[in-house]
Amino acid sequence: MTELNIPGSQSTPAIQGDWSAGVLAMQGDSYPENSFELFGQVIDWVERFLREAGRPLTLELHLLYLNTSSIKALMDIFDLLEEAHRDALPVSVNWHYDSRNERVAELAEEFREDCSFPFAILPVSE
Amino acid sequence: MDTYDLLAMREHYHRQRIMLCFNGPISRSLIEEIGNALRNYLTAEQAQPSAAMDVFAVYIEMTQNIRHYATGMNYTEQDAAATVAISRDEAGRYVVAAGNLVERADGQRLVEWVEALAPLDKAQLKAAYKEQLRKPRTDERSSGAGLGLLDIARKSSAPLLASLKEQADGRAFFSLRAVI
Repeated sequence: MTELNIPGSQSTPAIQGDWSAGVLAMQGDSYPENSFELFGQVIDWVERFLREAGRPLTLELHLLYLNTSSIKALMDIFDLLEEAHRDALPVSVNWHYDSRNERVAELAEEFREDCSFPFAILPVSE
Repeated sequence: MDTYDLLAMREHYHRQRIMLCFNGPISRSLIEEIGNALRNYLTAEQAQPSAAMDVFAVYIEMTQNIRHYATGMNYTEQDAAATVAISRDEAGRYVVAAGNLVERADGQRLVEWVEALAPLDKAQLKAAYKEQLRKPRTDERSSGAGLGLLDIARKSSAPLLASLKEQADGRAFFSLRAVI
């Protein structure tokens, strides 16, 4: 089982991990009470991909609002990417946001400050 | 009192410019449903997307902090109640307030925490937030509502206000007010 496909809900993002393409995508809001229940399996997937796949990994994020517990979980994922990047594995993040909501860009920017791998914050206009 | 004076309650809420309020045992799904109502309300009021997101975020952090505390303390459903009000002040700024029963010593620590945050500017709050974010999860639990409180403080346009009113059985009612 190398594919990850978690449907979204009102308070949790939709998450797809495509092993052969090397893409992990997430869309939506994330404010579950216990973010670890949700992100634990995503963290496992990323860890395994970086250990076994031997291919570049790209995150395509269309995340909007994150509660602090989700922010902590996402930081754990970015820490894994940072570690991989130091080991010369190609990893990158593209964070897409609606240009009318600058809060999302600010949130992405705070994550980017702690990352040295390629991290793009891309406005999407309707 | 033989009947509730709903009209008096309604008039009181109007005077206080309360647009949404809740009092009672709070569950995960209730937090989401009230959050939904809040978002719809903010959309109808044509709040800026960034302001709407800040109000929603502060509401979520406050109510989830209350849930985490009550769950961690194994409170009964009745004791795991929350009182939440979202209003606008004279200047039209959004105000999010929430209160719950806590152990008196925990409440005192929380009030001291909030008071310690008051003099910090945005840059200092950001540094404290990033430091808290890096703490292991076990530390986070023992220190209580740290990260959520810092997030609320960062999204507020004025220092947070906290108060503690002593109740029976060694408990106290903690309330927190944030102006967005």
